[in-house]
Amino acid sequence: MGAIIKYLVAGILRYWLIHTDYWQILANRVEIATPLNSWKRLIEGVYLYDQDINPYEGDSFHESPIILIIFHFLFKRAPYILPLLFTAIDLLTASLLHKASKAFVRIFLNCQQKNQSDVADESKDMLLSREQLMETSEYVLSVYLFNPYSILNCVGMTTTVVQNALLAAALCSAANGFGIVACACLAFATHQALYPVLQIVPIAMILAEVNKGCDKCSYIRTLLAFVVSWGFLIYISAYIMDGSYNYVYNTYGFILTIPDLKPNVGLFWYFFTEMFEHFRLLFICAFQINALALYIVPLTLRFKKEPLLLITVLLALSTVFRSYPCIGDVGFYMAFIPLWRHLFSFMQQKFIVACAFIITSALGPTVWHLWIYSGSANANFFFGVTLSFATAQIFLITDLLFAYIKREFTLRNGFSRMVDGKPAKLVLR
Amino acid sequence: MGRSTFILRVTIFLISLICVQGDTFHEELVIKPFLPAHLYTYFQFITLVNSESSEDTHLSPRSLLEIVSRFQVDELHFTLTEGQWRHRQWGYPVFDAAPGAELYAWFTSEVKDVDSQWKKLSAALSGLFCASLNFIENFNTITPQMALWPMSALPTNKNITSQLRYASLPREIVCTENLTPWKKLLPCESSQGFSALLNSRMIHNTNYHSIGVHVRKICASKDCSEINLEIKQTVSLVYDLNIIKSMDWSFTKLFGQGLPGACPLATSSKVYVDVTSNATRPFQLVPPPESVIYSQRGGSDTTFALYNIKADGQMVTIGAKHGSKNALTLSTPPPIYFNRYILGYGKEFGGIVTELINNFWTPIEVVVLENAPWWLPIQLSSLRINGEAKSDLVLSRYYSPGRSRQKPYHLELLMKLPPRSTTTLTIDFEFIFLKWQEYPPDANHGFYVGSAIITANLPTARNYTSLPISGSTFDSIINASKPWYPAVLRTNGAMVSLPTPDFSMPYNVICLACTVVALAFGPLHNICTKELVLKPTGTPVSLTQKIMNLFKKKQD
Repeated sequence: MGAIIKYLVAGILRYWLIHTDYWQILANRVEIATPLNSWKRLIEGVYLYDQDINPYEGDSFHESPIILIIFHFLFKRAPYILPLLFTAIDLLTASLLHKASKAFVRIFLNCQQKNQSDVADESKDMLLSREQLMETSEYVLSVYLFNPYSILNCVGMTTTVVQNALLAAALCSAANGFGIVACACLAFATHQALYPVLQIVPIAMILAEVNKGCDKCSYIRTLLAFVVSWGFLIYISAYIMDGSYNYVYNTYGFILTIPDLKPNVGLFWYFFTEMFEHFRLLFICAFQINALALYIVPLTLRFKKEPLLLITVLLALSTVFRSYPCIGDVGFYMAFIPLWRHLFSFMQQKFIVACAFIITSALGPTVWHLWIYSGSANANFFFGVTLSFATAQIFLITDLLFAYIKREFTLRNGFSRMVDGKPAKLVLR
Repeated sequence: MGRSTFILRVTIFLISLICVQGDTFHEELVIKPFLPAHLYTYFQFITLVNSESSEDTHLSPRSLLEIVSRFQVDELHFTLTEGQWRHRQWGYPVFDAAPGAELYAWFTSEVKDVDSQWKKLSAALSGLFCASLNFIENFNTITPQMALWPMSALPTNKNITSQLRYASLPREIVCTENLTPWKKLLPCESSQGFSALLNSRMIHNTNYHSIGVHVRKICASKDCSEINLEIKQTVSLVYDLNIIKSMDWSFTKLFGQGLPGACPLATSSKVYVDVTSNATRPFQLVPPPESVIYSQRGGSDTTFALYNIKADGQMVTIGAKHGSKNALTLSTPPPIYFNRYILGYGKEFGGIVTELINNFWTPIEVVVLENAPWWLPIQLSSLRINGEAKSDLVLSRYYSPGRSRQKPYHLELLMKLPPRSTTTLTIDFEFIFLKWQEYPPDANHGFYVGSAIITANLPTARNYTSLPISGSTFDSIINASKPWYPAVLRTNGAMVSLPTPDFSMPYNVICLACTVVALAFGPLHNICTKELVLKPTGTPVSLTQKIMNLFKKKQD
């Protein structure tokens, strides 16, 4: 009953906001809409496609051709349904996340059971009970439904709503053992925005864990399913564009080379605005490697027993370091934070991070207005705000990881912080 | 010097004329008063080249001819303009031109790689006229589909748009340094003939000035078995008589000196003064004209006073003296005129509005060419005609979307303007954030948006001064009634102010952004490579002791 009320309230809130006069302003906000996902670009792309002009010839549309024809169909047949559709997709995402988190809790409990022998006697109280954990999935639902970031993302009717739904579906089906569905959904999300490709690693790990049996076979199967479905989607897209693969330059090429320097909440825009021309390629490579390849291997090796943590951290990292992030991505990974409620007591920067999120969210639109409309500020102000927003997210991620390893240590070695009767402190060595 | 050399020159000229029997040169000046207080002077210098190769020409500028033959150009139009032609008050000029530099050319059908040829042509012309045409790149070049038609006598009657390239540089500033090489192309340069009147001191002070070179191929005879190359150099000037502080004008007042006779190499040297307005606001020409020509063309009656200028070295000064009675007079607006402006505030979203006004009693078909640079991305889905997304007025449409740093946005609409109506075209754009090195010097000055081209087949010749397509000299305008009168017009340009980054701190930005990346990299690296251990801390040290320790280390 409670859940239904939550859905209802969240749905009505979103639907109502789409129909207010402020919708246009929200849909055009730089924090919500990027060149990749904005509603305006979607309309332009669909319009051009409808007029038999290749939308990928110009610079106005960067979504995948599959999204293009789906929305072309919707615009032609039932344009009035779109606000409702976006609301429904977002609610579906919430419910998928809810389901996924329930399955994650089961996996988590299994893990805890397996590793119980390593736990020190005095730390036995720290082990989580089923009831405690079951509560967290309710929090996941509430956080996604009422997080202002995800609400605004849905109200802005960005294609990130679809991407979040696909990611949630991939995670949910992986946690429940539906390998093919998970791979297909993830491939679609990757086809849309490239960065979700990172999730294939934790998903493969979860699938191997859920479907008991040969681990390596499962990895290979997952990877194969993912590559095949991704390739299939690329082929289908080319088929839609009359066999031409040129759209790739406008989708993946656009994501990778960052030709549009319109400000967003990420780190790329001002960095590449101010970049010296002969260093541009070097730094584009460096930043993209940082976003796509740098952290995946070490984090996987370090947290191979904790695919759930890996999912959360990789989602967050790829949001911070992607070329065109929006607050919809932030809202999505934030829904996973309640899963780590038991780590909160080990986190040190909760207050700082929370304050930074609130302050930057308020300051961002303010300095944007000052810069663009009143002309009394300049680009540095907005850059400063996006920098601190990124820093806050990074602090959140690293704090979460530190909290996790501290808890792990405490579980194994007890609460005592004494070595041979002398006071000691925890350090990394 | 003096008379004997002059006679010698004329003799040489006559001999060469007999030998080569090729090129002819005409110089013409048309003066037309615009009511209430402007004066339009239009110079045209026409060289007709008969010979095939550029070597045996004697009047035509070899530098230009070589460019034309080298790059296989069929037709070429190049103008450098400062100021804004006011179509509503002034009617239509003989050749309209976009503000700044404008270049368009048709290449012969043998040219396969038109783009590279176009780049070479603009570079060559850039050197010839000292203009910044080398800024013409792919990202500001378009291929108009309907708006521009060749005026050449071409083997096919079709508009071969694949061979056409168009570019305009609205930021280009026109100066003396462009006029001097332009005058060098004339056979008499600036020593003799009408070009002696073109003092840069005087003409750069006008309200509007435009110099141009137009090269095309025309039929030498009726059956078009032979083709001549026509090189037409034009100067359009609009004087504001309020600045001269008198309605009376004369060559001395306008050009700073009188006309020192015709160019001896010219076949004809004629001055036409439009005296039609004499009926409403009487004036007296001094000296009185040799003859008066009446012309009836497409429903408008025009009267020209004609002077034949001789190459006898006699100083000629033509002027007009108005009667004492100064009646308030207004000009009748032309059949179509237009207006263009930028909408919106802030530096995020905006719109371009083009208003087209048809005040004729029949519908007029026009082609509107909107040419938005790549840094002003227009959204076709936001195109509204009189506020409607779907309009019956649009008969045909061509759109080529732009690409950042590669291709401009190019929209062409064939529209039927209803009689006595105002049609408003609105299209939205988004401001682009450029890389810091892409901003021009003085980035906050604003960015120039080129003018739209409007091509119309006018049903009336009211306020229409262009020559008929087959005509070369100005006398072809006399009684040249046609079913319609083609006009290629340019709207005014516009200016937008793009958002700018802080140009002074690239290093800071690079350092700060990298620091944030390092903030993630450092802890993640630690977490992944190190393990947590308990390390005994010694007895707690007081702050003073810590400071003391610091000093001790320094002493070591």
